Amino acid sequence: MKSIILKGRPIVPGRSKGLALVSTKPISFLGGVNPNSGVIIERGHDLKGKSVKGRVLCFPYGHGSTVGSYVLYALAKKGVGPKAIINQTADPVVVVGAIIANIPMIDQVDIQQIRTDENVEVNCNKGLIKIVKEK
Amino acid sequence: MHLTKEEEKILDGEYGWAYEISMKILVRLGDLFGATSLIQIKSAHISGVSYKTMGGSIDFLEALARAGGKAKAPSTLNPSSFDPEYLVRKIPREHREGQLRIINLYREMGVEPALTCTPYYIFKPQRGSHLAWSESSAVMYANTVLGAWTNREGGPSALAAALIGKTPNHGMHQAENRQPNIVVKVESNPVNETEFGALGIHVGKFLKEKIPLFTGPSNYTNEDLKQLGAGMATTGMTSMFYYRESPRKRDFEVVSVEARDIENTIENLSTTSEAPDLIFIGCPHCSSKEIQSIAQALEGKKVKTGIELWVCTSQHIKRKAKSHVYIIEKAGGHVLCDTCPIVAWIKNLGIETVMTNSAKAAYYAPTYNEVGVTLAPLSQCIETACFP
Repeated sequence: MKSIILKGRPIVPGRSKGLALVSTKPISFLGGVNPNSGVIIERGHDLKGKSVKGRVLCFPYGHGSTVGSYVLYALAKKGVGPKAIINQTADPVVVVGAIIANIPMIDQVDIQQIRTDENVEVNCNKGLIKIVKEK
Repeated sequence: MHLTKEEEKILDGEYGWAYEISMKILVRLGDLFGATSLIQIKSAHISGVSYKTMGGSIDFLEALARAGGKAKAPSTLNPSSFDPEYLVRKIPREHREGQLRIINLYREMGVEPALTCTPYYIFKPQRGSHLAWSESSAVMYANTVLGAWTNREGGPSALAAALIGKTPNHGMHQAENRQPNIVVKVESNPVNETEFGALGIHVGKFLKEKIPLFTGPSNYTNEDLKQLGAGMATTGMTSMFYYRESPRKRDFEVVSVEARDIENTIENLSTTSEAPDLIFIGCPHCSSKEIQSIAQALEGKKVKTGIELWVCTSQHIKRKAKSHVYIIEKAGGHVLCDTCPIVAWIKNLGIETVMTNSAKAAYYAPTYNEVGVTLAPLSQCIETACFP
C-alpha cells in the first residue's frame, strides 16, 4: 500500500478519516443538499444522488445562500453530515457551517489528487491529508 | 487577530456556548479576510427567516436560543414567508407553525421581528456608523445612500455579530476599501425604477467585487438608487457604488452602458408574455413615497377579477402610509407586511405567472418560485392590473 500526503490550511481543527467523495463542482448546501438525508439533489451536479453522510467531502468551494451554513449544522445534528470537508478555496458559507457543525475542515488543497472512495485521513489541526492508494 | 481579554474570555466559553460559538464565527471569518480586530456595531440585520428557505435547518437557532444567546446590538429580521392578515389564511398549518417557531427563536434572542428587507425606513443608521447587515440590497443602500459602513454579511455572521455586538474590522469597514475603482458611463438616463434595476443586473454581471462610479444618470430618486443597488447585488458581489461624484483619477477603467443594454436586460429577464396571475410591487419593500405613487396610480381604478395585486412593505410603513394603503386596498390590491412573493409559497396559491417592476424579483422568481415573469415599470403593472 502506498500513500500520498497533501498539505493545506487548517480552517476547523479536528481529526477524522473516511472514504472520499470528490466533486469538481461547487456545492450549494441550501437547495443543493437534502437537509434530512444528506443526499445531493442539485440538478446537473456531478454528485447528484450521492449522500455526504460519513464522507470526507472534497469540493472546490461553496456557493449560494448563507442559510447553507445552517443546513450543514442540521446535517451534522441528524448524523448525516460529512466527517470532514476539504476545499480548494474556503468561502464564508462553508466555513461558518463547518465551525457551528464542528466538522474538521481544510482548504487550499489540490482536490484533483483525491479520488472518490479512496481512504483519506485528515488532520485538520496540522492541515495534513493522507490518501491511502490501493495497490 | 488581536482580541481583548474580554473577547478571549468569550471565545474560551466563560459566558456560555452561544457566545463562544458566535465569537468563533467572527474570529475565524476575521482571520480569513485579514481583519486584525473586532469593532463595535450600531445594529445588525439578519437574513435566514423564511420557513420556505430555512425549513428543516432551524436546529442551530434552537441551540443558540436554548443556550441563552441574547443580542447585544439592536437587531432586525428579514422578511418571512407570509403576512399576518392575508396569506396567513391560505397556507397549511405546518408552514404557519414552522414560520412562527423561527420568528419566536429570534425573538427569544432579543432580535426585533421587523420582517423587512428595508430596515432603514424604520431606523436610519447614522453616517459613518458600523453595521453588520445581511440582505444585499440593504447593504448597498446603507453603504451608498446612507453613508453607513457594512460588509455584506451572511445570515449566520450577522446573527453572530448581533450576539457579540461586534464584527471583524475589514473590507467596507475600512476607508481605503470604500474607494471607487471603475467608472460606469451610462449613455442614456434610465427613465423609471425598472430601468434602474435592470441597469444594476447588467452591471453586476461584469463588476465582480469592484466599486463602480456611475456617470450619466442625473435624474433619479432614492428609490431608483435602491433598485440599482438591489439589481447589482443580485448578479455581483459589490457592496456599494458612487453616483454623485466625478472621477478624480484619470486611469480608471471605463465601461459604457448603452440604452440597448438595459432594454436587452429587461427583455431577457422577462420569461413569459402570458397574462400575469400576480402583479407584485415592493422588491425591495416599498417606502412611503412608493406606496403613495401606487395609490395615486390606482385612484378611482379597480383591480381585475382573477388578478392579484400585492404591494409589499413593513408594518411600520403600512401604518405610516395609512391613507394611501386605504386607496390601494379599496381598488382591490393587497398591502402585505412581513413578506414578499419570492420567500412565500405562491405556487401553492395557483400562481403561475408574475408581473413585477423589480429587476431583482424578476431575476429570482423563475428559480425560487418556478413561475413565469414579466418585468415592466409600475405604470404598466397598474395598467395591466386594472379594468380600463
